[in-house]
This record gives sequence, structure tokens and C-alpha cells, in this order.
Amino acid sequence: MSLAPDCFRAAGRMSFRKQVRVSSALLLMPLAGLLAGSTAAAAPPLHQRIDELVAAQAGGALGVASDDAEFLRRVYLDFAGRIPSAAEARAFLADSSADKRAHLIDRLADSPEYVRHMSEFLHVMLMERLGDDQSWQTFLQTSLAENKPWDQFVREILYPEVEDEALRGAAFFITKRLEKYGQNPVDMPGLVRDVGRMFLGVDVQCAECHDHLFVDDYKQQTYQGLFAFLGHTFIRRDVKFPAVGENLLTQKVAFKSVFVMEDLATGPKLLDGEEVEIPMLPKGEEYLVAPDKKKRSPGVPKFSPLRVLSEQLPRRGNRAFEKNIVNRLWWKLMGRGLVEPLDLHHSDNPPTHPQLMALLVDEFGNHAFDMKWLLRELARTQTYQRSSRQSVSAGDADQDGPVSAQSYRRGLERPLSAEQLLASVWQATGPGTAAAASNTDPQAAPEEGSTAATLDELRDKFTAALSNPPREPEISINPTVKAALFLMNDAAVLQLLTPRDGNLIARLVEIEAGEPAAHELYLSILSRPPTEDELAEVAGYLADHPEQRPEACADLAWALLASTEFCVNH
Amino acid sequence: MPGPLCKPWEHQLSRRHWLGTVGAGAVGALGCGGLLPPVLADEVNQSKRQVLFVWIDGGMSQLESWDPKPNTQFGGPFRAIDTSVPGIQVSELLPRTAQQMHHLAIIRSLCTQDNSHSAGVGRIQRGDPKNRGVTYPYFGSAVAKLMGPGASKLPPYVWIKPGSGGFKHQDAGFLGPRYGALAFGDGQPPENLVRPASLSADRARDRSLLRQRANERYLQGRPSSVTEANSYVFDVAQTLMDRKELFDESAFSRKDVERYGSHEFGRHMLLGRKMLEAGVRFVKVNSYGWDTHGDNFNGHASLMPKFDQAFAAIIEDLAASGMLEQVLVIAMSEFGRTPRINGHIGRDHWPEAWSLAMAGCNVRRGVVVGETNPQGTWVESEEYDIGHMFHTWFKALGIDPHHTEYDNGGQPLPIAHDDCGVIEELLS
Repeated sequence: MSLAPDCFRAAGRMSFRKQVRVSSALLLMPLAGLLAGSTAAAAPPLHQRIDELVAAQAGGALGVASDDAEFLRRVYLDFAGRIPSAAEARAFLADSSADKRAHLIDRLADSPEYVRHMSEFLHVMLMERLGDDQSWQTFLQTSLAENKPWDQFVREILYPEVEDEALRGAAFFITKRLEKYGQNPVDMPGLVRDVGRMFLGVDVQCAECHDHLFVDDYKQQTYQGLFAFLGHTFIRRDVKFPAVGENLLTQKVAFKSVFVMEDLATGPKLLDGEEVEIPMLPKGEEYLVAPDKKKRSPGVPKFSPLRVLSEQLPRRGNRAFEKNIVNRLWWKLMGRGLVEPLDLHHSDNPPTHPQLMALLVDEFGNHAFDMKWLLRELARTQTYQRSSRQSVSAGDADQDGPVSAQSYRRGLERPLSAEQLLASVWQATGPGTAAAASNTDPQAAPEEGSTAATLDELRDKFTAALSNPPREPEISINPTVKAALFLMNDAAVLQLLTPRDGNLIARLVEIEAGEPAAHELYLSILSRPPTEDELAEVAGYLADHPEQRPEACADLAWALLASTEFCVNH
Repeated sequence: MPGPLCKPWEHQLSRRHWLGTVGAGAVGALGCGGLLPPVLADEVNQSKRQVLFVWIDGGMSQLESWDPKPNTQFGGPFRAIDTSVPGIQVSELLPRTAQQMHHLAIIRSLCTQDNSHSAGVGRIQRGDPKNRGVTYPYFGSAVAKLMGPGASKLPPYVWIKPGSGGFKHQDAGFLGPRYGALAFGDGQPPENLVRPASLSADRARDRSLLRQRANERYLQGRPSSVTEANSYVFDVAQTLMDRKELFDESAFSRKDVERYGSHEFGRHMLLGRKMLEAGVRFVKVNSYGWDTHGDNFNGHASLMPKFDQAFAAIIEDLAASGMLEQVLVIAMSEFGRTPRINGHIGRDHWPEAWSLAMAGCNVRRGVVVGETNPQGTWVESEEYDIGHMFHTWFKALGIDPHHTEYDNGGQPLPIAHDDCGVIEELLS
């Protein structure tokens, strides 16, 4: 890496950002050429190379491709955070053009719903339900709207801007973790841990007091070096928005293993990086802006470890930083990380597909950490587009035993967040085909004068009933009794299934009880046409309840909303 | 999990295995905090054993309960009385429980490590294992994990307590939130337990059948684990709804209410008995307000009769119905109280020498284990820490505490403190 940290130390923040853009552009082009070798121009697109590497390691026959409906639902959930409307489903299923899948991926990735969904995704991933803040949401949405490169995004979180209102909410990642809970002291180890987990894919918590007992790579030095960057931070109380202050860091952090009673010390140090030298500034000259007690202003130290962290951590060549985000985005679309747990990268826990990981890291870097580009490429792979059903004709399950998840021979079932589930329920039960086709924004306000719960009220309820407790990563499908009771009995949920203003039930009551009703029901909720069995079931049930048509329609709709097929991304 | 093309009998096996190894709301294959030898889990799962865990929050005084020292320097004003077992005496504040002594075992030689509430409550209920950088599960979560919900399909770990209810995930520690407690705050049922009047029972049943059929169709060609997990939580929810009469205090028999007491603790203990009868694996019943730093003796004079009444009643009932053969009963606090009486006529926190009471399963009946010195200040016999108790309880439940481990994402973790062992003289 030619970008030595020293050259940034004196540089101001703005100039640093410019520098990085310029230097990455200069640096990366030849690098890309090198990696791709002499055939750079002829190299197949990334999604093909991914499929080749996955196939080479599959260890058995690959499953069949998803059908259009399966793909459609999946890609809507992954890029728009909701299921498609019945109209959108009909249009896509009827479309006979060959490139309609790629076209849909592009359209959704460029839609405002992508911004909303990715903001939710990053919010849930980074904050783990610790809390929320308007300025943080502004930061997320602004960043996603301009498709901000991941390195810049992380840089802005680690060394938050104060002046720019669109950016300063980034501080919430740190300030929320510096809050006190009851009489407990500030959970500084929690902040250190989360910076490591979220941005480097390492959970160094167990290395606070001694070298990690079963991960050789995680030394106490690893934890303490990271701690030295962060341990002197505090929440600024002189401003109304989330803002991080830094106390002076004038000496190394002293530590001692509980096993080996040897006095050790370290300055700020990032995993394998160089230890940052702490400058010895004469007394009275430590601050760029001196603290002002009258204004309760904490001052700005000349030496800012956070700034150094923001320079050293999110950048090309920091392999841990690069692998972490690539792995998390892979997990988002494929349902399994190349490294699992997502926050336990180390040399004894290598990726299931090392070459694939290297390829993704290099290409993501070559494309300037463009998340949307990577997600789009991943979605174009056959790996992503494989059916989650095992094709019976493939016939190899009996011989090979269970198909392992990490072979990617079959699409994996994935959890839906509370946000995705709400947006999907709202879409499925919602306003009406015509309206849905023209207005696909699930945030659209319900009709005036409606007595039903508003989307905001529903969001609170869904989050309470369906999300994990704080600090529990939402990475696996996690059905709970609480969620089941919520879906079965909550008044606001059941209210969505009463006929009103052209919503799903109102439409189902109006249209013919046979095939048309079944099609509307299944396309609206499961985004696919019904099978013969399902047609018969719907017709039979409606025929059994001729006097209670709205109720019967609600029963059929509820059963599909509570089904596994609706509640997971498959 | 079997492959997607599994045969029906494999499906059965998988379901049984799954039910046996996970608690409420779990996905066995996908979950964190795994369990060990599945063989063991199957064996244990055959067990009908249950736990009644009576938690006396704040610290019951051993001198005013299980280990009276009348007429000594720190003995306080209360006398000791005879019990149904010749030679064993308890405080006169336990007159009814004294008559059940032939079912009970008292241990008087506890010596534990923490004298603060904030840390001690969790530390005791987690068994105070060696620090391995993880948060251990509370005893209830541990039992939920190791023994599963059993045949009742009710949640394996319920907690009846004053105050707020809800799903208390914190208890589960590294096992993951699904092994937390379902808390019935103020004895009330969980949110959304009652089917709204707008939905008839017939329609609710139809909905459930339609949902199950949709899931069966979805399963074609797919692995079963996710759908089974999903179905399981709906089953548990339905079972709870079907048993909502458990929460209906107006249906409690007048005689029962009189025997257990019409006070909060009595009502909660009675609800606890109903939960046990309904098949809940682990029932915790909570009493608060025992931190008698001031006016300890009036405090205990007012608190102990409620405990005595409800505890004696449930022991008597469990013994009469034969359930005591299967139900391990434990009554304890996070520590005892100081022998020294402070300036506010109170007793402070004292983990150095205290007592608890047990009954049921193969716990020996009518025995006292361990003794303190004549003034009650220190343990004179061998000291037992909470780790010894966890070993003993697991063994009583049929779980080998030395050969069973948790699997925390590859990290093997003993289920009880490695340096402690079973107190054999407590078990028959």
C-alpha cells in the first residue's frame, strides 16, 4: 500500500477526502489491469466468474433455476424491501423479453425504494436495534441516495462531520454506544467490539483481558490497539445533534493479561497495522480549538485518533475491512456468509470459497466500493437465481445426503426483517391494483378518514413483535411465540383484512369466486399464480361460506400471510 | 436435518429431534447456542421432570427461616419450632412449612461469592460458572435448552412475577433470546393471547387449517427445518390460547385460594401449580421485597407468613398428587442476611453462610445438609457454592452435569462450574 498513513496525519479532513478520490483513481486502474492479467479486456463479467467458482466447488449437481415468480419475489424483497404488487407480478410474468431479469434488477436498484430498503438494512445491521435518530436516518438516506462508496460511508461514521447537516447524523453510530444505561458505566468495550465487528468482521470482545482463548489471531493487543483509537471519546453535550468529542490522548493505553502479569502498553493500532505514534505536544498547544467552559465547548485536539482511524480503517488494501463488507453483502443476497459467523473472520476460519472471496474483494475495490454495483452483479448470478426448491429430477439428494448450505446448489431460505415483513403485508393487503401499479411506495399514506392503523403505528407494532432484542444480530430465521400471537390476534393486523377502499379483501369480495379470486389472492400475497390444488381450495372454501364472503376471503388471505412461504425470503 | 426429499419417517424423526433439542421459537438447524450430544438430548427428553423455582428476591434471612439460632447473640426475637421430622427445627415463622418438612431437604452450608443485588441475582441464577467471556443462561433457560418443552407444547420456561411481563430474553445469555422466559407479569397472560371477539372459534380453526395446508404445500421439495420452526411457534401460541383458563383467577377454587393465600404471592404460586399441572417444564414464581436492611424482624414477620402459606400449600399438593416425584422444587434468594443486626434493626447481605430449601425428584426427604456455627456467622461443615447446587439440580433432573456441555458456536462450555460437583448427600 503506497498510501502511507503519515502523509494524512497533517492533512485536514476535506483535503484528505479529495486526496483519496484522486489517488484511488490513479492507483486502482493499473491494479485492476494487473489482477485481470493480460486478458483484462476479455474477462467475463463478474457474475459469470462468480458462478464458475461456485460451480467448481458445488460437489454435486446444481439445482434448477428459480422460475420467474420465485425470482421476482426474491429480487423485490432484496432491492425494494417488499413483495411486488399483483399488477407488477402480472406484468413481469407476462413479459417475454429475454433480458427481463437483468432489466428488473437495474430498475429496482435505481428506484427510491432501494434507498429506503438499504437504509433499513444498514440501520438494522449497524445499530442492532439499539435505537434510532432522525439525523442518523438522514445520513443513511442521503448516503444511499447518492450511492456513497462504502469506504467513504464508514469514514464519515468513524470521524463524523459536525457542520454538514446531511452528514453529521453519522455520529449516532458512536454516540448511541456511549450512552449510559442506568447506573452502568459507559460500555466502552461494547463500542470497541462493534467497530471491530461491523467494519472489520472481527469480534475482539473476548480479547479485552487476555489473548482470545480459541481464536489465535485475536490478541489482547488487537483489542487494546483498537481501544486506543476509541477509548477517549465522549458524547458532546454542547450541541443538540449526535456529536462525538475527543479527550486528549497523550499516552499509550496500559494493559495486562489476566494470565500473564506483564505490564504492556500500546498506542492506537489497527489489527496488523503500524502502531500510531502519539505526538508529544507542549502543554497549552494540544488543541486546534481550545475547550471553552463557558460555551461548554469541548475543543478540538490537534491529534485526533478518530481521524487517524477514519483514514486507516476504511481504505483499499485493508483486507479485513474489504472482506467484511463483501461478506455481508454476499450474505444479504445469498443467505449465508462466505465466512460465518459474519463477525468472526480469522485465519482458522477461512472463507468457504477463498478464491471467490478474493475475487469479490478485488472487484469491489476496483469499482470504488460501489455497493449497488456489487449487489447488482450478485443478483445477476445463477447462484442467486437458483430455486430454493430441490428439483426432483436432479435426483442427487438421495446419493449425496443433505445438500449443504455452503454448496449454494439450492437457493437458501432467508429471514425477513420486521421492516420487510411490514412493507410486504402492507403491499399485499393494500389499496388496490390500479393504485398499486402507479404508486408502489409502501410508505404512501393511507386514505383519509380511514380508521385503520397508520403505517407508522403498524411499524412500531411490527418492530416490537418481530425484531430481535437489542444487540442480537438479525441473521437467522427466528420465529417466536410472540410473533405468532401478534399475527393471530393483533387487532391492527386483523383490521388490514377487512374490506375497505379497494384493498385486497374489497377486491376479492367483488370479483368472481372461482379462478379470478384465487389469482388475485395468490398474486397479491405470494406473488405467483395458484396451483390447481390451490384453485380448488379457494373455490371450495368460498363455496362453503357463501353468506360470509368478506370473512372467508379474510381467512384465506390470513392463512397465506401467516404461512412460511410469505414470512421468509425463499 | 434430512434432505429435501426426505421420507415421511425421516420427517417424523426430524420433528421429534427438533422438538427435543430446542425451546420456544427456535430453529434447531439455524440457531445459535447449540446443544451437544443429540443422543443425550433424546434421553433427557423422555423425562417428564419439571422444575418449580421459587425466587425470593432481595435475600430471605436464613435466621428467620431455615437456620434459626434462638437465644444467641444474633438470633433475633423468633423461636425455633419442631417440624414433622424429629430433630429438625425451623423458625417459628414457618409453621405450615414445618409440617411439610418430611418432603423437604434444607441445605445450611451455602457460601457464595457475591453480596450485591445487581450482580448477585444474575450471578446466582446463572450458576456463577468460571468466567469464559460469555453470559451464561439463567437456570430456567438452561433447563429449557437442555430438556425442551416436553409433550405439553407449552413454553418451556415461564416466569410468574409481580410487575411487568413479556418475553425476557436476557435470561438466556449466550443460548440466544429464544430460550428466554415468557413472563406473566402480575400473573397476567402475554399480549395478544385472546382471540378478538370479531373472529369466531370456527373461523380461527379454519384459518389455522388453511395455514397448515399452505405450509405443507410449501414444504414440497424444501428442507423442513424452517417450516417446522414456524409451525411450532404457532402451535405453542395456540396451546397457550387454548389454556388461557390457566390465567383465569375467577376459576380458581375458593378452597385453593384460601390455602395458598389471597395475597399476590399466594395467587402466583397457585398459578404456578396450574402451570406445572399443564406440563410447563420450568416454572419460576417470584416474590420481591426481601431486602430488609431496616426493621428486619417486622419485615420478616410480615413477609414470611405469605411465603410459608403458599410454599407449604404447593408442597402439600404436589406431594398428594404424586407430582413431587417428577417436580424439583427449589426455594432460594441471591444470598442470606447478616447475622449481625445493624443500627436500623436490619440485617444486611450475607453470602458467607446461608440456606435454601429443596424438594422433589430424587432429592432426599426430611434431611438437613450442612451446618453453621452456633452464632450462625460461618459455615462449619463443607461449604457449598451455587455451582454445587447447579450440579446437584442437573443431576436430579437426569442430566449428567460432568458430561454435558453447551456448544456456543464451537466453544464448548460446561453447564455448571467445573470446579464444583454434585452434593450426593442431597440425593437419594
